[in-house]
Amino acid sequence: MRHAFFLAVHSLWWNRGRSLTIILSLAITIWLPVTVRLALRQFQQEISARAASTPLIVGARGSRIDLVLHALYFESVPPAEVSMKDLEQTTESGLAIGIPLHIRYRSQSAPGLDGAPIVGTSLEYFEFRGLRPAEGALPALLGECVVGSEYARLAGLKVGDSVLSAPRNALNLAGDYPLKMQITGILEPTQSPDDKAIFTDVQTAWVIDGIGHGHQEVSKNTDPALLLQREDENGNRKDSKTFTANAGVLPFTEITDANRDSFHFHGEPGDFPLTAIIVVPETEKARVQILGRFQSSDSEAQCIKPPDVIDELMSMVFRIEQLVWACSVAALVVTLLLLGLVLNLSLRLRAAEMQTMFRLGCSRGTIWMLQTAEILVLLACASLLALTGSWLTVTLGSDAIRTLLY
Amino acid sequence: MISIQQIQFTYPDGPFSLEIPQLAVETAESVAIVGPSGSGKTTLLNIVAGILTVRQGTVQVGGTTVTQLNDSARRLFRLQNIGLVFQDFQLLDYLDVRNNVLLPCRIHPKVRLTTALRQRADELLTAVGLMPLASRSVTRLSQGERQRVALCRALLLSPQVVLADEPTGNLDPVNAQKIVELLLSEAKRSNATLMMVTHDHTLLSRFDRVIPFEQFLRRTTPAQETVR
Repeated sequence: MRHAFFLAVHSLWWNRGRSLTIILSLAITIWLPVTVRLALRQFQQEISARAASTPLIVGARGSRIDLVLHALYFESVPPAEVSMKDLEQTTESGLAIGIPLHIRYRSQSAPGLDGAPIVGTSLEYFEFRGLRPAEGALPALLGECVVGSEYARLAGLKVGDSVLSAPRNALNLAGDYPLKMQITGILEPTQSPDDKAIFTDVQTAWVIDGIGHGHQEVSKNTDPALLLQREDENGNRKDSKTFTANAGVLPFTEITDANRDSFHFHGEPGDFPLTAIIVVPETEKARVQILGRFQSSDSEAQCIKPPDVIDELMSMVFRIEQLVWACSVAALVVTLLLLGLVLNLSLRLRAAEMQTMFRLGCSRGTIWMLQTAEILVLLACASLLALTGSWLTVTLGSDAIRTLLY
Repeated sequence: MISIQQIQFTYPDGPFSLEIPQLAVETAESVAIVGPSGSGKTTLLNIVAGILTVRQGTVQVGGTTVTQLNDSARRLFRLQNIGLVFQDFQLLDYLDVRNNVLLPCRIHPKVRLTTALRQRADELLTAVGLMPLASRSVTRLSQGERQRVALCRALLLSPQVVLADEPTGNLDPVNAQKIVELLLSEAKRSNATLMMVTHDHTLLSRFDRVIPFEQFLRRTTPAQETVR
């Protein structure tokens, strides 16, 4: 067999143009399904790992997949919201820790760089995800934020810089104003969606949302042109203590030490919106109880188990993978048929060579071994090339694969 | 020696039959076979080599009755005992000079490529003056050089018999003379019997014996024998 390989390799090298064409055709046919399989495996591992580390998610009723992708990957904005009341109900029983998430806004885009999602949450989130600042500190005051490592690198941000939130609707003149937030820290890289997000306190997120705001003090000394009306306790307008400012009194767009105390919230705190709540039960029993509570209640919120939802999502993804495999198998069959045709034509061209070997006394087995060795060498080269290509694609393209996720 | 007794051969759709009542060639004897084209000279070489088989008669080479061997045994016998030189050289373009000479060691599991055979290949190449070109592709050789490579390949396994089928047919007179000289001297050196088919009558005087081949030809078409 050694000599068969020797002759096969020399023959293939002599006809290297033809050999290279066959090897490339086979390699591409092998590379595609293998790469899809490896990429999907990596995709599954990453998406499953984050889902598995998140016990329960509470959010408004609707698409379970959308809610999980929102809470885990900060994707899209759910059409409905839950409130702080839901968070309090989940945690007041002592069964679990609730981590609020308010993710409706992004930072302002720069040329060639989309804005990052602004995640309004509590300090428990950093502990829960194991996020630590690589430099600086976690946000402690209203208007402060920390930035994920990848976004900080892309945007060239550092501690002491600031980021602006982007209004959700630029055409709504009465809508939300951008808020300038001070960066107090840059997070360590975690190879997760957290690397491409901006984290702030949930109250700061509410300020961006327009629920809370700060503005110049309105009193009897305020320019009357900025006042809509003044009333006393009895509804009398003269010498009243209650003032209604008009739109001329603009809210502060940056929270500083000087104006921080002027910030206040309107409305009932229990009604303040959250887009999702991460629930971390104390025990397995607590987890079951919380799930049961949401299933049996008339609440407009739903409680879901992220791993189950991700499994549903992956089953859809794997159906697509099966389609890719079917296409690849068809392509492989066609390629093999073409390979057979090429080898057959090649054998006809080499009939004189085979005749020479026969005349010299070549055994029948050696003739077969020669042809088999050529096919094996071609397949081995193509497989090696395809597997190397797949490995390089998945390794070097891991960031691109993550882009599919977040 | 080569001994042929009462053989008859006909191609299935051929216009003639070959009948040889008796033909013997002694060990180390050099024989030239001459005759018109189509008279069966090449057919005779193929029968002696076991490439073609006859149903009647016997062919013995060095005491082995070739006509009684099965296909597998005939192939091995041919490889080990018969050196073949063709008019069109039949070298493998994708191998260099040395590896073309060593080809017989690479095409049968029972013939091993040993260090001694590598040395013999180099000796043969040195003898025919091709050692400096040992690593060169055969496609870059002249016709005469190619035939010398083919001659080395035929002699590598020290065969009992060398069968040369018009080895000078594609060569100019000067190269033809050189090749015949080489064939004769190397065959003599190896104590091998040489049967050479040729149309070149200027070379005949170099051989121990000349066999005119017309005597064996019969222009009939009986389908008596088969090929391999």
